[in-house]
Amino acid sequence: MRCLYCDKTIKTYTFSSLFLKEDELCPSCRKKLKIKRRKINLGEFEVETFYDYDGIFRDLLLQYKECHDEALKDVFLYGLKEYIETAYHGYRLLLIPSTAGKREERGFDHLKEMFRLVQLHRAEGLEMRLDFTQEGKKLEERALMRDNFTYNGPFLDKIVIADDVLTTGSTLKGAFSCMPKHSKKVKVLSLAYKNITLHY
Amino acid sequence: MKCARCGNEDPSYFYKGAKGIYCRKCIRYSRVLLDEELKSFDYEIAPGVDEYAFSYELSKEQKKASHECVEALKDHDVLLHCVCGAGKTEIAVESIASYLARGLKVCYAIPRKEVVIELSQRFEKIFNKARVTAVYGGHHECLKGDLIVCTCHQLYRYHRSFDLLILDEVDAFPLKGDETLMNIALNSCRGRLIFSTATLDEQLQKVIDERDVVTIELLSRPSRRPLSVPKLIVLPELLSFFYLFHLMRHTANQCIIFVSGIRKCISLYRFCRHFYSCTYVYSDLKERKENIEAFRSGRYHFLISTTVMERGITIRNVSVIILHYSRVFDSASLVQMLGRVGRGVKEDCGRSYLLSDHYNGEVRETLSYLKRANASL
Repeated sequence: MRCLYCDKTIKTYTFSSLFLKEDELCPSCRKKLKIKRRKINLGEFEVETFYDYDGIFRDLLLQYKECHDEALKDVFLYGLKEYIETAYHGYRLLLIPSTAGKREERGFDHLKEMFRLVQLHRAEGLEMRLDFTQEGKKLEERALMRDNFTYNGPFLDKIVIADDVLTTGSTLKGAFSCMPKHSKKVKVLSLAYKNITLHY
Repeated sequence: MKCARCGNEDPSYFYKGAKGIYCRKCIRYSRVLLDEELKSFDYEIAPGVDEYAFSYELSKEQKKASHECVEALKDHDVLLHCVCGAGKTEIAVESIASYLARGLKVCYAIPRKEVVIELSQRFEKIFNKARVTAVYGGHHECLKGDLIVCTCHQLYRYHRSFDLLILDEVDAFPLKGDETLMNIALNSCRGRLIFSTATLDEQLQKVIDERDVVTIELLSRPSRRPLSVPKLIVLPELLSFFYLFHLMRHTANQCIIFVSGIRKCISLYRFCRHFYSCTYVYSDLKERKENIEAFRSGRYHFLISTTVMERGITIRNVSVIILHYSRVFDSASLVQMLGRVGRGVKEDCGRSYLLSDHYNGEVRETLSYLKRANASL
């Protein structure tokens, strides 16, 4: 098997492979993809993030989303799946939807594929009013995303909203603002945190 | 199974996704499905754009090489093996014009973004009626033009589109050692190729051996002045800094100091800026363009650089100091760095110094290459 990032051959028959699920990254790439758990306060709610959006994580996510490399779908949640299942036990997983255009272009829903192995019940019904991409947009334009969500799903007690990258927080704030009428407990998680004070 | 873009046949690189099987070897240049038919990028060449003029006269040797290149391209690909500063670009101009006159598509591909910008401006002056389009990372909104100048990484956008592709500095990063990118580059051309280099290496030799290539050599510069053979100073690394500061204190003209990595570049700059008029440049630096321009305009006396400045940059009257420790540079890089000296057509008084901890391997190879080239004058 080859490492999905550096293409080096990974030893398949190791002692740890007897007990753990096979990783699709080689040990040295996995080491570079450091998990850095944070809680980011967005005022109305807190977001739990697991990676910093830079280095190898950024390369992998760009390759997955922009180059449409579907093979990378299980790389991001390796070693986190169990934690998410435990920490959000009893919650329904509500994924931020992609735009229809992007879904069509990729041929897959990137968040659905990333979280496909997470054993949490799914919640449906979150929709975007307009097909709006934030790519290359300024901060003011990104803020428009806040009013771009509607929730048409059933009443649910506990919901965990999940996204891939937290930048300005507009997407998550938009999704969160749809929720309280329907749910008692809403938690939010994002795979990575992009510190815009560093990136802009 | 074979990838239409990069030519990969290794089954371990293919992955079955929702839309079909695709090649992961060249996935960084966007997904190509196995059953997808890659279309060539189509655009029209305006008539009359082939007129060209130089603001200076080409030397007799350059003119001869230029004619030979046009003739050779009728039946073969061409390898332009010229010393640094011999004017490879000028030699290719007549061939470019002959293709443009027939309405055929031409592309000039170079490794680095800075050189793309500089070269597209030069081409705009040479072909003043042609629309020269520069394509590089972050600047690819417009892909059409009469003459495309792009970085090698952008060639994936033009599958089998060019009738003439000039691959400059084939032996340098990113083409060096990257078989996938080389195949993508070769597949962007449907007609003739010109490989252009000053330092022929094994990988390029292999590519050339597989094709029908005519070699055109030019081992002298237009000024007929010899290549700069560096003064070699063999010293331990720690002492080399004292010698470097001695050289910096006594160098009259502008000088580029080549170091091996970003960290060294930054730390040397941080120290030197207190005592000398200097700036610095490396690949990831945000102010890279501004710093190069500031140095070019003469605002700074020294430019501390990584290999980012080793190729394609012409600065008049510049000297070069290379800190070559732990064998960080190969012979091709050393030749290119030293090739920054004496590139001006007019009187150029730049000097070169090579500070190293050994005298063998690539150092010996570099010196003998320079002496051999000078002997042919």
